[in-house]
Amino acid sequence: MNTQLFALAIFDGVAYAALVFLVAVGLTLIFGVLQILNVAHGSFYAIGAYATASLGGMVFAAGFSPYLAFPLMLIVAVLVGIALGGLIEQFLLKRIYVKEGALQLLVTFAVFMILEDVQRLVWGVQPYFESSALQALGNIKVLGITYTVYQLIVLPCIALAVLICLRLFLRRTLSGKLILAVTEDREAATSIGIDADRVYLLTFIVGAALAAFGGALASATTSVVPGMGADMIVLSFAVVATAGLGQIEGAALTALLIGLGRSFAVYLMPELQVLVPYLIMLLVLLVRPQGLFGIAQARKI
Amino acid sequence: MTGRVLMSAQGLQIRFGGVVAADNVNIDIHEGNNLAIIGPNGAGKTTFLNICTGYLKPHAGRVVFDGKDVTRKSPRQITRLGVARAFQIPQLFTEHTALENLLIAAAARDRSWKPFTALGAIPEREEMMHLLDMVKCTSVADRPVSELPEGQRKLVDIALALALKPKLLFMDEPTSGVASSEKFEVLDIVAKALAEAQVTAVFVEHDIGIVERFADEVAVWNRGEILFRGEPGEILSHPDVIRDVIGEEV
Repeated sequence: MNTQLFALAIFDGVAYAALVFLVAVGLTLIFGVLQILNVAHGSFYAIGAYATASLGGMVFAAGFSPYLAFPLMLIVAVLVGIALGGLIEQFLLKRIYVKEGALQLLVTFAVFMILEDVQRLVWGVQPYFESSALQALGNIKVLGITYTVYQLIVLPCIALAVLICLRLFLRRTLSGKLILAVTEDREAATSIGIDADRVYLLTFIVGAALAAFGGALASATTSVVPGMGADMIVLSFAVVATAGLGQIEGAALTALLIGLGRSFAVYLMPELQVLVPYLIMLLVLLVRPQGLFGIAQARKI
Repeated sequence: MTGRVLMSAQGLQIRFGGVVAADNVNIDIHEGNNLAIIGPNGAGKTTFLNICTGYLKPHAGRVVFDGKDVTRKSPRQITRLGVARAFQIPQLFTEHTALENLLIAAAARDRSWKPFTALGAIPEREEMMHLLDMVKCTSVADRPVSELPEGQRKLVDIALALALKPKLLFMDEPTSGVASSEKFEVLDIVAKALAEAQVTAVFVEHDIGIVERFADEVAVWNRGEILFRGEPGEILSHPDVIRDVIGEEV
């Protein structure tokens, strides 16, 4: 493997890890606070991608600047988070918080299946490709390799910004403390008058919006096709499980680890590309069943 | 019995299977009158607290607080009306510092949801520091609660309850888990803080020494009923109480 190929694998891995992190961090946040493993999380990602690609196509076809893609992505993420995430939390999850884990998993899996078909109904099965945002930013040459600014700089910066904001929000603001208080002891929090229902709703909306944002950003780099939600949810589960459930910073490092593992596999052993993330997960969980950063039950988020 | 009636329990009735935990319980709680509830285990003392704070719904009867029927209200709604509760085991957020715990309570009280207010810039900070001062815990304000000894946890828990600005505070064995040599000291601090905050206390207690020192009034519970009620000096020297309650406890 020469230097260029090595650098290319790193760039690919970092760009991919940034997207995976955005989805995985939403998943782990929701699990940390609501104690629900949300399979439908993959649908938020896919719908974010579909909505951005199709709306973007219309906007750019009407002659608007491709830079509008960025505000569009944010709007799509927020809308998916509030409309879809909010409705699902209010009408479904709210009823099953006290139920056992297996049932919760089945319910979110059912939502995932329903949303998969909804996507087919709305967007059909033909791929969407809308890379105006990626093209608008052009290329950059690093270590002799020409790479897109969007993937090499914008995506990792956004992922890093999300990580830092989430951390500051949870640890340094009053609302963050309220969320952590509900996470630590819902009953005690409720008894002093904290509205735990609202904390759950807001957390779920934020988590769903992060997944949709990941999908919106991904739509500029790849074809939006049926099944992308399923691929992403499985990979995010691998990241979240490897990092330790509820671990936000851990999810970032693990996403990077798995992203790099996958991209190196692409160049070295392409036949293992799909397998590598799960091999990493398997190896980690064999040695540390609580995950790389999981502290057995001490801190939930 | 000087003050006005803060809370009034009327005809409370509740049973769990064959066990009667409240059998026509009628009691008025007067403002400024600290009430101790004593009685053997299983007498229905904690059940009474649970009904008054919304954790249990009685099968019959009602609870009126400040003129409002709160029988069917949730614990959170009752808390908002001005009834706080301190549990036997302090319900604190152990990963957070003592001050942060109080700030969380203040935010819950004010229903403030200012998403991006930095912890250092919260207007209630001084008020909460004053509460910590009232319970002599300013020195541990910035330490995580998990590092505090039980006595201080109890005090922070009381401060947290006071942060909700209650009129009435229910305490389940306020000194349980505190070393006996420190019990009076802890309780004196609590009593002084409650008096300063003008909060009336209702507390379940097994330690008769604590009851004598702290209560203005004692109610003796047994089998879901109030057997006796009156001033501590009179009740605690009553031969039946000595035989049935104190004799068993000491």
